Amino acid sequence: MAAAIETEHLRRRFGARLAVDDVSMTVPERAVYGFLGRNGAGKTTTLKMLLGLIRPSGGAARIHGVDIARDRMAAARKVGALLEAHGFYGNLTGAENLALTATLLGAPAREIDRVLEIVEMRADAGRKVAGYSLGMRQRLALARALLGAPPVLILDEPTNGLDPDGIADMRGFLRSLPERTGATVLLSSHLLGEIEQIATHVGVIHDGRLVLEGPLSRLKADLAPEILLRTDDDARARTLLGGRSVSPADTGLAVALRPGEDADQAAAALNQILVQAGLAVFALGAREQSLEDIYRRVAAPAYPKAEAA
Amino acid sequence: MLAMLSVELRKLNRSLAAVLALAAPSLMGAFLFFVLLRGTKPAVWSSWLQASTQIWAYFMLPMSVTALTALVAHMEHGPRAWDHLRALPVPRWRIYAAKALCVIALVLVMTGLNLLVSCAAISAAGALKPLVAPKGAPDLAHLLALNGKVVAAAVLLIAIQLWTALRFSSFVPALALGIGGTFFSVVATNAKEGVFFPWQMPVNMLAGDPARVSTALSLGCGLGLVALVLAVLHLARREVL
Repeated sequence: MAAAIETEHLRRRFGARLAVDDVSMTVPERAVYGFLGRNGAGKTTTLKMLLGLIRPSGGAARIHGVDIARDRMAAARKVGALLEAHGFYGNLTGAENLALTATLLGAPAREIDRVLEIVEMRADAGRKVAGYSLGMRQRLALARALLGAPPVLILDEPTNGLDPDGIADMRGFLRSLPERTGATVLLSSHLLGEIEQIATHVGVIHDGRLVLEGPLSRLKADLAPEILLRTDDDARARTLLGGRSVSPADTGLAVALRPGEDADQAAAALNQILVQAGLAVFALGAREQSLEDIYRRVAAPAYPKAEAA
Repeated sequence: MLAMLSVELRKLNRSLAAVLALAAPSLMGAFLFFVLLRGTKPAVWSSWLQASTQIWAYFMLPMSVTALTALVAHMEHGPRAWDHLRALPVPRWRIYAAKALCVIALVLVMTGLNLLVSCAAISAAGALKPLVAPKGAPDLAHLLALNGKVVAAAVLLIAIQLWTALRFSSFVPALALGIGGTFFSVVATNAKEGVFFPWQMPVNMLAGDPARVSTALSLGCGLGLVALVLAVLHLARREVL
């Protein structure tokens, strides 16, 4: 599959601080790519370089093969962006704000109706943006990103400010976008649960470095799952399984599988060790890794669960 | 460029900058009207309109340019619209050049409105109090030329204020510069060096000495255009973090 977005050894330095360090990422065409990372990890800096807003200190970034540093205008024509700061003019109506962008893109006026229809904002398009809620501004920002039907969408926290219904609508919309329009979506978020439901691919950036990337399904399969177990004496069980990586789980213990180890075979072997030692095994089974688990493992071992959820 | 200019003009719709563009000349009209009502002699068109232009060039124009450039810049700084604008497939110099042209056009319109509102105020005062009714007819051609020169001499002032207002996201540097510049212009009215001071260049268009007029006009307009080009190039090249 060809790459819609590609970076090679992308770097950006702010004074002594390396905000983005040797990031080589590939977003395949028609993918919904979830770009994850803590605050300050380098997500926004990377997105700004992809939008040509800041210059890389090194490396290259391409949108559908067009080098952003060499031809920003050609690259920008292929991208629609929803940024954290919406940048709407509060004195103008929603439709008037869209009309400004449409004029600069050379898009016909009917494009405004089309994108308003998509985000279900036609009824409110005649109101001044100053009176919009955060969720309405978010929808309008998405509408603006869709103007001119760009083949690549770069969305920074697209579900920010949306109510639960709005989040569900946005999720469905983004998930269906590649199939309906052929567009590629790169979205950054810290809502791991949302990304897990939308994304086909993920990339995790930590301290400016891309520490994990790939199709979500493959990552879930490749990263060794854990065996969860509960016995009548978890402390002794932990000692008995001393040769393995064992950590406390919500109820009982979590035993990390070794790379390539089959989960069923491992569960049987663990059961045998514990039973032979006279322990009563109440529960034993493999746990599939969620995106949060993967994220916590590769990027932020100390990331509090409540924040990640 | 036309698309960018049309976008800049449409942004002014219902904006504070547009309100200011109407309010500042209206204040001048109100001032003239009430001063005339206190008079006991018939007004003379040319002297009142000349006085109106003088007050405008001396004080109201520099203050209006300070407020106008700050408001126009804040339309982008406030909602942090720069990222969105600069991510669009539009040459960045056009974004800033359109803004500069739009501000110069607004100052021209405000100066024209000042003349128009002054005429209306003199006529209204004369209608209300026939004793002060103006005599003769205003020399509009001369006044239009004079006001045109006032705006041309103000280009350097506009460039400096706009550059500062666009460069800094806070209101403070642009306002401090504008208030400071106008203050020094007022307190040093009679200084010979005032002709080299951007905030005094517009009012020098009414000077009796032709050398002062030509110096202020060539510096204000010529250097102003150079400063605008430099401002556009600098702002287009710099990163907005």
